[in-house]
Amino acid sequence: MLVTWRYRKRKSLIQWFDPRAWVIFYLCFLFSTLFFWDVRFLSFFLVISLVTVFTSGIRWSEIRRAFLFIGGFIFFFAFLTFLTGRGGQELYEEEHLIRQMVAPFTLFGWRPVLDITVERVFFALSQLVRVFSIAVMTILIPYSLNPAHYGVTFRGLGLSDKIAYAMDLTMRFIPTFGRDFQLTMDAQRARGYELEKIKGGLIEQVRKLGPLMVPVTIHAIIGSEDIIDAMDLRAFGIGPRTWLEELKYEAKDRILIAFGVLILAASLVIVFWGFGGFWVPEAFLRLAGR
Amino acid sequence: MTSSLPLVVENLAFRYRDRQGAAIEDISFSAEKGELLLIAGASGCGKTTLVRAINGLIPRSYKGELAGRILVHGEETTGWPLSRISQSVGTVLQDPERQILGTRVLNEVAFGLENLGMPRQEIVERADAALAYLGISHLRDRETFNLSGGEKQKVALAGVLAMRPSILLLDEPLASLDPASALETLAMVRQLADEGMTVLMVEHRVEDVLNIRPDRVMFMAGGRVRYLGDVNGLIKVVNYHEIKLPAQMIIERAAQDPFPAAANVFSEGAGRGSGGDPLVRFEDVAFGYEKGSDVLKGISLDIRRGDVIAILGPNGAGKTTFVKHAIGLLKPKSGRVLVNGRDTHQTSVAEIAGTLGYVFQSPSHMLFAQTVFEELAFGPRNLGHPKAQTEKEVKEALDIVNLADKEKDPPLALSFGQQKRVSIAAILAMRSRILVMDEPTAGQDYQNYMSFMDSILRLPNFEAILFITHDVDLATIYANRVILVANGRVEADGRPQEVLRDFDLLKACRLVPTSLLQANLDYLPKTGRFMRAEALAHV
Repeated sequence: MLVTWRYRKRKSLIQWFDPRAWVIFYLCFLFSTLFFWDVRFLSFFLVISLVTVFTSGIRWSEIRRAFLFIGGFIFFFAFLTFLTGRGGQELYEEEHLIRQMVAPFTLFGWRPVLDITVERVFFALSQLVRVFSIAVMTILIPYSLNPAHYGVTFRGLGLSDKIAYAMDLTMRFIPTFGRDFQLTMDAQRARGYELEKIKGGLIEQVRKLGPLMVPVTIHAIIGSEDIIDAMDLRAFGIGPRTWLEELKYEAKDRILIAFGVLILAASLVIVFWGFGGFWVPEAFLRLAGR
Repeated sequence: MTSSLPLVVENLAFRYRDRQGAAIEDISFSAEKGELLLIAGASGCGKTTLVRAINGLIPRSYKGELAGRILVHGEETTGWPLSRISQSVGTVLQDPERQILGTRVLNEVAFGLENLGMPRQEIVERADAALAYLGISHLRDRETFNLSGGEKQKVALAGVLAMRPSILLLDEPLASLDPASALETLAMVRQLADEGMTVLMVEHRVEDVLNIRPDRVMFMAGGRVRYLGDVNGLIKVVNYHEIKLPAQMIIERAAQDPFPAAANVFSEGAGRGSGGDPLVRFEDVAFGYEKGSDVLKGISLDIRRGDVIAILGPNGAGKTTFVKHAIGLLKPKSGRVLVNGRDTHQTSVAEIAGTLGYVFQSPSHMLFAQTVFEELAFGPRNLGHPKAQTEKEVKEALDIVNLADKEKDPPLALSFGQQKRVSIAAILAMRSRILVMDEPTAGQDYQNYMSFMDSILRLPNFEAILFITHDVDLATIYANRVILVANGRVEADGRPQEVLRDFDLLKACRLVPTSLLQANLDYLPKTGRFMRAEALAHV
């Protein structure tokens, strides 16, 4: 059986809108954010995402795990690009050194050197703001979209009955996969299996994940066959389908969509005029002694 | 005359594309309006294949060679699309978990009607009517995920009834239900048949179904119909080891047979208070998955050497949560659990696994290896047993579950019943001192599960055995200690003859006294303890 995300009906900005309007707004937000590397523009998107999260009515305890996991991931990668200086080199050509840190030790004859440059600092910051804004908006969706509305939302966005229902099932497959993974993990731990003790080379390590990956995969396949049978037995896909849930656009939903489209259009214009690219404040460049 | 019959099956045979031999052959029968037909038989006898052929999944979803014909209200269904068949033939699968698609009860019940493209108003009316009919209107706006097993089964049934079929196929609808829910479901099925629906019910629990007076019984074996007729005739043709009959019938018939060898598997002398330190100790254990709602509340008890414990209780009472604490997969929020005197907070699951073997409910969550041998060797290897010892342990475990010939087969290619036995053997091979099993008999046929329960209880290496079950008879026959769990509390804990005689308490825990329990209570002054029906015949 498919498990659902932890949706609850809440008094919140995000749930005040029609789910279709919110998905359209979300897509506009997503694509617009991806146009920019300028932290000044990106902070506008950060503000939108923060407003959404603080008005979402979701308690910290509910999303703590998701936030810490994804937040940790984003910080880790931003920090990694900062350390290595890789990743942003397509956006800037010259770097302005603020300070060079040289390690007091060597690793196999190689002495690690960290160049702290203005560009690296600002690239890391821009990356953090950009990915964080998108991640926040994305994490909120499963908590705020009523699972009973998934199908009709996608249908309302113009997808066919079959594709819309498939999307509905896919959305619910992800938490189901998580539950099956946990059950398998427990079953194998009860047989003395310890993930922490896996050693050996990469191939050996992957091989030792077999006890987890094989049952989870097989379960997913059997599960989807069951779902197909259950759908077939109740006449799915024979013709146009009635969707029990009805969604109605109201004035506020149209305003939200208009706002989303406006942001997207404005972003396109700004980028077209040559703004919004990677930016470093003058003051910092002077600090670096330009 | 035939044309007026809701269902006619003529010379039906089917062979699955990738399997040798026919799954069913030479099957002919018909069913009348308002008839309740019970279909019984061992695992792999072809019951499910027959159901799939009638509801059209064969040959549409399951490919193979199909011969013979099926007529629904006089019309052959061969060329029909599934959607047309599904309007006449409704199917409720064994496990409601595998059938429910909707997130909310109303959406689930409406699913078929939505697919038929009915007007929204009519869908709501029909769905509400189906819910009201089954007496579950109060569940209408609940999430399907949070329902109990019995509620899920009723919701799945409502989803099928809303489509107003004239024929209803039920494939082992009782398998995952607690006894009280099973009784409610059965009463509902009887009512549907009385109101004119043709009902075909596949079920292992023959004894339970006999209570609602099926009009006829079909007994299948090896893909063929071995008996089709009234209930009294069935009892003459089948062996009482093959299907579970009411205790009184077994007692009458077993009196002529020799005394059963397996009757006294373990001695009554073992059991509670046999001294020594407890193997597992629960001290005021409380646990909840979410803040504010505890699944376990203040559980304190000891598991001692010689205990064979049956844990009984309703769906969602906290039974699985309770036993997961014994192996340290869950740690108590307050209180503590000691295994061999060591607090589970300070021990890893892998360490406890050497002492306490835990067989999960579903084998598909653990089988992964390429051969049965490798699967069984996994646990002993993790525990660091030497190679020669591991080999010996694996071979012995395979003998116990009667799968020695399958050593080189891939476990995932075995039948469900065999997979379940592999999952039990995988734990047996670890040579733990305590064996814990979560619903070991679910999805197994009577003869099979009685046989491996007998074998497991005969094993000398276990110091204690604990199993979760919905089957009161399993507790009656095998346990020397019964724990009733309801709402996260231990409601009763004692010898079977003390705990199970309190029918009010059983009722409160959604259990139903069985004919075997009743017979045992009647004989108790003479026997002094509970035993299986075959043994009672010789008292």
